[in-house]
Amino acid sequence: MTFIRESGYAFWNPLIWFIAFIGVMAVVHFIRMRGQEKYKKGSAQAQIFVCGEEVPEPDKRHIRVTNIYWGFFETLKEYYNSILRPHTGIINDYIIWFVAVMALTAVILLIVGLTK
Amino acid sequence: MAALVTHSPILIIAIPLLAAFLTPLIGRLSGKARNVLVLGNLAFVAFLVFALTRDISVNGIRVYTLGATSPDLTIPEGVMVPVRIILEVDGMSMFMAIIWTIVSLAATIYSLAHIAKETGQNRFYTLLLLMVAGAYGMMFTGDLFNLFVFLEIASISGAALIAFRTRFADTQEGGFKYIVISAIASLMVLFATGLLYGQYNLLNIAALAKVMEYTTLDKIALVLLLIAFTMKTGMIPLHMWFPDSYTVAPASITGMLVITSHACMYAAFRVCFSLYGGISDTYVVGWIITVFGLLTAFIGVTMAVYQTDVMRFMSYHAISQLGYMWMGVGVGLAVLGNPELLYTYGRDAMAGGIFHILNHAMYKPLLFFTGGALFHVTGTRDLTKMGGLAHKMKWTAILYIIGTLSISGIPPLNGFSSKILIYESVYHFHPILTIMGIIVSILTLASFIKAFHSAFMGAELPMYKQIREVPVPMLIGMGILAFGIVFITLFPGQVSRWIIYPAADALIDQLSYIHAVMGVVP
Repeated sequence: MTFIRESGYAFWNPLIWFIAFIGVMAVVHFIRMRGQEKYKKGSAQAQIFVCGEEVPEPDKRHIRVTNIYWGFFETLKEYYNSILRPHTGIINDYIIWFVAVMALTAVILLIVGLTK
Repeated sequence: MAALVTHSPILIIAIPLLAAFLTPLIGRLSGKARNVLVLGNLAFVAFLVFALTRDISVNGIRVYTLGATSPDLTIPEGVMVPVRIILEVDGMSMFMAIIWTIVSLAATIYSLAHIAKETGQNRFYTLLLLMVAGAYGMMFTGDLFNLFVFLEIASISGAALIAFRTRFADTQEGGFKYIVISAIASLMVLFATGLLYGQYNLLNIAALAKVMEYTTLDKIALVLLLIAFTMKTGMIPLHMWFPDSYTVAPASITGMLVITSHACMYAAFRVCFSLYGGISDTYVVGWIITVFGLLTAFIGVTMAVYQTDVMRFMSYHAISQLGYMWMGVGVGLAVLGNPELLYTYGRDAMAGGIFHILNHAMYKPLLFFTGGALFHVTGTRDLTKMGGLAHKMKWTAILYIIGTLSISGIPPLNGFSSKILIYESVYHFHPILTIMGIIVSILTLASFIKAFHSAFMGAELPMYKQIREVPVPMLIGMGILAFGIVFITLFPGQVSRWIIYPAADALIDQLSYIHAVMGVVP
């Protein structure tokens, strides 16, 4: 039985990846085993420490979806403004796109036909 | 057994169709009996599908003529052309049928718990079986008119299922949009069928392909068919209805709708390769599909990363992933007329695109199911209101991670196998396709990490202290698809040899498709 997936330009063998994954996990486990031996689960050692400040409640400190990649969206604001504009939610607009794409494709095929 | 396999093409369509009408009757007696009927029916159909797949892998294309003295008698005596309803099943049809079998079975098991508290379950399962029959019909039919009929069956039942949970207003809007888009697409298919029938007096795809002259009317018919089917798959810029409808359906149905989108993609492939494969403009049509595929992949993922509704987020990712498939198969179509390029990279590009259909059919319904699990437990699709759910939903979180790694193409998951095949092959057609493909993959991973963190990570939130993991049938439904992912991950070479390359070759080999119905082509 072979796991090799030959695409014609390279080969792909998931078994090698699994062996590598297990190897990396073994190294991680080894490093973890060499950690702090006096650690006590559930004690003050396991509490969150924010420079001595009071730690907010779980629902206040959870980073919400709208805060993630804020910089990405800010940088691409123009792109998003332009791409969100056609998403009106109105089905009439969707049908206009359908007609436009159909017309464009038809014109391309007819022009190609004329050039032959 | 031999008779069962002989008649399996029609039985695979007829059995769920018959069971659909039995379901409400049995359901009036007992809900459990109805569920057994639906599951038993789908399991039997799965058996037939795998038996037929084995038969086709040994004996080649199967034709089934309805009403003939013998199923393989496609052209009656004294007549020059096929006049009866003919089913034509080849490697590509079986590939699609296998996908549909696995996903419909997983979705039905998932539904047992997911819609357990809803009213109108008899109607739900009736519509589900109608959709199953409609999609099988689309995959097996050999003529254009029946393609239209089965498209209608799948679309109408799909729209009703989207709007099934009538207590939510947005489901009605989603169902309405789906039926309007489907009706327009079906109308265009019917119109194109009429144009071809008016010229050639034929409806059979193989017979039409044999006499195709590629007149101006044929070109218009091609555009109508192609754009109608691409709109049904959600290709950009015809995608806007897609998230509006898919977001609001029950998650099990959304998973199945993904495969009906694939069925429409299959129909577009059938039109481009089997019907119009012999024309000289495949290069232009291939380029058009590839460019739209590229746009679909990129714009789809950039829209997905912006979303805060978990199901809408998944819907845009479904659109984005469809772009990969269009790119792969589009490149294959573009070089179809050049055998040297076709066998240098075109066939591999097609195989990559088709392989991605299979992978997408495993991880995307799985991800939709995990989204449905979040909704089932929290009562909201809004990611801004979620957090820390992995504390109570460990299995769902693990299944979500499997789906995420797979859709992002992270080695060694199956998504990587198909993506690397696409990247390597389309690079020879134009390097920008590979570059954009990799960018889309990176953005896919980034957006799924964002959603994972928002929903599952962080401290346990007070409002979700009482929640529990989803019921077992939902986990089994998701588990079936996760098992599919693991299987393809471990055996990509075997899967390629068994079903991927035979499917690609079935599309490339137009002459065999024609020959199966029309006899030897001179």
